[in-house]
Amino acid sequence: MIEVEHLSVSYKAGRKTNIALHDVSLTVPKGTVCAVIGPSGCGKSTLLKVVAGLIFQYEGRAQIDGEPINPRTMKIGFMPQNYGLLPWKNVADNIRLGCRIKHALTADTDREMTALCARLGIQGLEHRYPQELSGGQRQRVGLARAFLLHPDILLMDEPFSALDAITREEMQAVFLDLWQASGITTMLVTHYVEEALYLGQQIVRMSAQPGSVAEILDNPLSGSSEKRSSPEFFAMGQQLRAKIKAMGVQA
Amino acid sequence: MNKGEIVLRSYILGAGFLLVTWWGIALLMELPIVPAPDKVFMKLSHVFLPVIAIHGAYSLWRIAAGLALAILVGYPLGVVMGYFQRTDRYLAPLVYLTYPIPKIALLPILMLLAGLGELSKVIMIFLIIVFQVVIAVRDGIRTIPEETYYPLYSLGASFMQVFRDIILPASLPKFITAVRVAMATAVSVLFFTETFGTQYGMGYFIMDAWLRVNYLEMYAGIVVLSLIGLLLFGVIDLIEHYACRWQHR
Repeated sequence: MIEVEHLSVSYKAGRKTNIALHDVSLTVPKGTVCAVIGPSGCGKSTLLKVVAGLIFQYEGRAQIDGEPINPRTMKIGFMPQNYGLLPWKNVADNIRLGCRIKHALTADTDREMTALCARLGIQGLEHRYPQELSGGQRQRVGLARAFLLHPDILLMDEPFSALDAITREEMQAVFLDLWQASGITTMLVTHYVEEALYLGQQIVRMSAQPGSVAEILDNPLSGSSEKRSSPEFFAMGQQLRAKIKAMGVQA
Repeated sequence: MNKGEIVLRSYILGAGFLLVTWWGIALLMELPIVPAPDKVFMKLSHVFLPVIAIHGAYSLWRIAAGLALAILVGYPLGVVMGYFQRTDRYLAPLVYLTYPIPKIALLPILMLLAGLGELSKVIMIFLIIVFQVVIAVRDGIRTIPEETYYPLYSLGASFMQVFRDIILPASLPKFITAVRVAMATAVSVLFFTETFGTQYGMGYFIMDAWLRVNYLEMYAGIVVLSLIGLLLFGVIDLIEHYACRWQHR
């Protein structure tokens, strides 16, 4: 479970103090996916960084399973926008990185990795380097790393944004398949309305200047490709899009 | 034809080109100060083992010792300056103030302080290489985008883990380039220092042959010095090939 209460983050740029997040509160129940959506500059990446333990100067409270966030004692899986693959490590070493840092490499790890690679369709690429892969393949390697670690929580920053539309839909389905098997508490940031509706059981809509939560809604349409082609899905998408657009005009 | 064969062939071509040029100049000038290569290589085959080898060994050891010392001091310093930006603020002025001092101008002082023997020569080479290593490693680490660290930070990685998985591999290419660039300077400076206070080393051998007006031996010495350079560059290239494999894909 991720709990964020009255979270405010500001940073100094020269003499000015910019407020990135103002009084943000939200809860992601255990075993659910929360999609954070909003216009650019609404602080959604900052929010993710606080939960990932990358920003530790903030006001308010941020907790994972009732404990203050601490990357050393917790297993936080963080997937940045560029997937965070290290160019000097081959695919296998990149996938194992999380487990290695956490000293969780066992005899089973390699077996599990092989199975995971097969499921993600990247078997046979283990000895390649990230720059030899396509965008979709890198995304799959990033997912393999995240899921091999069995993290307490999984955080993804615009995970599918860099992909073309067809690959993106394919990868969303791949993610959902893995997620449904593991049930890891997940928070993902996106600017695609369809992505939020398809993946998030809970959708947090944020507004900009200063970044704050505008609306939290439960989404009954997540998690299946049948619902994705339903009229309700389309209608809700239009509604959400209109709201985000309206905010952009106000700002 | 594999990669190794291509490299070998281009080296043979390069050496051949230099030899032909040398030969042409020797034939044109017909002076004893520019002997033809065949005579020089004949001489080399006679004097290499009994005379030159020991000088070459001395020169190689001085370069290796100076280089090892420079890496031992320069690499950690570069890492500290590149990763901890606050230390850089205090250390950078020190480096920038001392870097432009022509190290060769310090040779008389060094020889007074460290003696005429091995130590002053090794320190000289160390001084030439260390600055380039420090700057290259620092700048190499500075160019690592902040996001590269994020996955490790959010995993709670220790500094040693960050060093092993990010800092070391990311700074390696620039570090190796710096050593390569500094190596050429080091060899020329070594030559100079070996003309003082020693009876061993390629510098001594070449100058001695010159003073004895033994041009064939002098040229033989120059050829050996060039081969030592080739050996050093070859070793560096080989290390880069294996250590930075990911860059060549």
